[in-house]
Amino acid sequence: MIGVVERKWWYFLLSGLLIVPGVIFLALGGLKPGIEFRGGTLLELRFGQPPAVSDVRDAMAALDRPEAVVQVAEGGRIEVRTFEMKPDDIVKAEKTLKDRYGANLIDLSSSVVSPSFSGELIQNAVRSIALASVLIVLLIAFAFRNFGWAAFRYGIAAIIALLHDAAVVLGIFAILGFFLGVEVDSLFVTAVLTIVVFDRIRENLRLNPGEALNPVINFSIMQTLARSVITSLTVVLTLLALLLFGGFSMRNFALALVIGIVSGTYSSIFNASQIVSLWQELEDKIRHRATAVA
Amino acid sequence: MGAFGPWLIAIIAVLAVFVDIPKHQISFPFNCPGICLKVGDFQVNQEIKTHLGLDLQGGTQLILRMQTEKLPAGNTQTPSQLQQLAMKVIERRINSLGVSEPVLQGVGDDKILLELPGVDDLAQANDIATRQAFLEIKVPDADHPGQYKSLQPPLTGANLKPTFVTFQNGTKPVINFEFTNGDDQRWVQLSKDFYQKPVQITLDGKEISAPTINAIFTDGRGIIEGGFTAKSASELSLLLNSGALPVPLEVIQSSRVEPTLGQESVQRSLVAGAIGLFLVAFFMIAYYRLPGVIAVIALLYYTALTYALFRLVPVTLTLAGVAGFILSIGMAVDANVLTFERLKEELRAGKSLRNAVEAGRVRAFPSILYSNLATIMTAGILFWFGTGTVKGFALTLAIGVAMSFFTAVVVTQMLLHGAIEIASLRQRRLYGVEERAVDTGAPRSTAAVSP
Repeated sequence: MIGVVERKWWYFLLSGLLIVPGVIFLALGGLKPGIEFRGGTLLELRFGQPPAVSDVRDAMAALDRPEAVVQVAEGGRIEVRTFEMKPDDIVKAEKTLKDRYGANLIDLSSSVVSPSFSGELIQNAVRSIALASVLIVLLIAFAFRNFGWAAFRYGIAAIIALLHDAAVVLGIFAILGFFLGVEVDSLFVTAVLTIVVFDRIRENLRLNPGEALNPVINFSIMQTLARSVITSLTVVLTLLALLLFGGFSMRNFALALVIGIVSGTYSSIFNASQIVSLWQELEDKIRHRATAVA
Repeated sequence: MGAFGPWLIAIIAVLAVFVDIPKHQISFPFNCPGICLKVGDFQVNQEIKTHLGLDLQGGTQLILRMQTEKLPAGNTQTPSQLQQLAMKVIERRINSLGVSEPVLQGVGDDKILLELPGVDDLAQANDIATRQAFLEIKVPDADHPGQYKSLQPPLTGANLKPTFVTFQNGTKPVINFEFTNGDDQRWVQLSKDFYQKPVQITLDGKEISAPTINAIFTDGRGIIEGGFTAKSASELSLLLNSGALPVPLEVIQSSRVEPTLGQESVQRSLVAGAIGLFLVAFFMIAYYRLPGVIAVIALLYYTALTYALFRLVPVTLTLAGVAGFILSIGMAVDANVLTFERLKEELRAGKSLRNAVEAGRVRAFPSILYSNLATIMTAGILFWFGTGTVKGFALTLAIGVAMSFFTAVVVTQMLLHGAIEIASLRQRRLYGVEERAVDTGAPRSTAAVSP
């Protein structure tokens, strides 16, 4: 049996190594909001033979959109992002691009969100995150209602682990945003809520509270380890299929889910229980000192 | 469960597979595609097919905001009344176009969602949704020569008979209208009041034409000429016949997906789903042996049942919805894993196979219930606050999880209980446990755990 608890500082260190760079890039503004959250236009062009990015940029400049950001994406696609365009402008832009590239342009999709509406979408996202946060605290309290002070300790540990996972997912997306221009949209918020917040509840409700609070924590961890890893593994398998073979617009969503699940499994095994045991140790020490002084 | 249980499960399986088979028509009772039932006032008329969202079949989606701030002062209609009226007008316009399965629904009380599957032309969609088609006849303003003013009350297109297009001199398209409902008398009176003077015909506040009245009218009829082509004339005629929007609308979100991209997405999703299913099946059998095989059968049952439900309800599958479905395949085995891990523990603790299966079921149940409830709650929150994409994901995830609960609790257990009745399947190693329980000296899980 691996001495999971004995090595807790190593596990905390590994988490730190994952989180600190992410937090730095978060602070640098790496997390890029997609058009849903800031308003604007996204044109997705799929080509047989993608032309040079500069060529598409010229085309957009000729349309009086010199500010357009043109990026290459997988699958022979080119993405163009710019400010909000009115339907008439879109129709004109689409016609110009189709004329320019002819049959080489397989298809062209457009989406536009007005900045006034994106404010409302942000509001919705914030509201659902707030509601989810309240619910998770209530649920954890409910799940451990019969275990008094010890349950409180476990609940705090679970919430710290949750913040850990959120930091990992947000951090990695901040890094991806900083270097690759990956944007976050409402599906990203969905991924964070589904996995980071609620899979945590699932995990906690699934662990029999009695087991979670087993004084022999190492044993309890090993016992639940198989369950946690296997249930996460089956979900990760399907998500990997989605990530590697699924529709292009689902890539980032699947990636956020995978990172969230892996991080969640790691933190519940290697962090949450560690925090409980650390707490116990500290309490023992203080009590010991108190008796020694007396 | 009783003796009926297995039969019921089997019948559900057959029905589900039947519904899943693409492109066939079930006639029940007769002469209609899909399911048709009529019992008194209760009527079901449901075609069975997979409903694909706009991102999978191509089409145009608009979210429209009612510009209530542009309404003239003294408007007494509430936003929700205006919303209903505007939706009726748009619905009439769509109907005359013949778009199949359009979606038109209110969002909040100031927005309208419009989805036009198969409509690839954003300009056309925009016209349908935002052309107000507000017709008004204005008269010369005596105080400001050369300008026009509204009558009191304004003479608008509110009381018009259906308009139609004719060709003047056989080539020039004009729109024929006829006032009715009292406005025809005002129209006649107007021709007397402004004889030999120009009147202005405006549409959405812009002048279309300003003909001079050369005769006293005898009825409510008139024509609009304004340099139309045959197409623009018939479009305008159609808009006038559908009625004017009660409030100006602006597009605050639009998206347009071409059908070719949709097909590509469908194919990629199918491949991803199949690979995901295969990976999970392979892992479960490799790791759990016989119970793994049972889990895979249950998983196939689950997939068939859920997909059948999507077709029956029907649930419109979007790209995100498919992702939710694929994710739910991975989550569906979760309950089986909990059960099998318990089963192993019980077997290692020295229980007989039959007792272990029963104990595994009883002890895994609360965990399975709670974890499924948590997922359904997530889906609920996402559905509540989410828009388009997120709603689709939440709905398929919730249905998926509910179905997986059913298959894990009922189907897996039934198969497991069935398997242990077969003598050749009673060897412990088929369940991933050594032939004889080996005492490791560690505290027994069963003894250490409280409940």
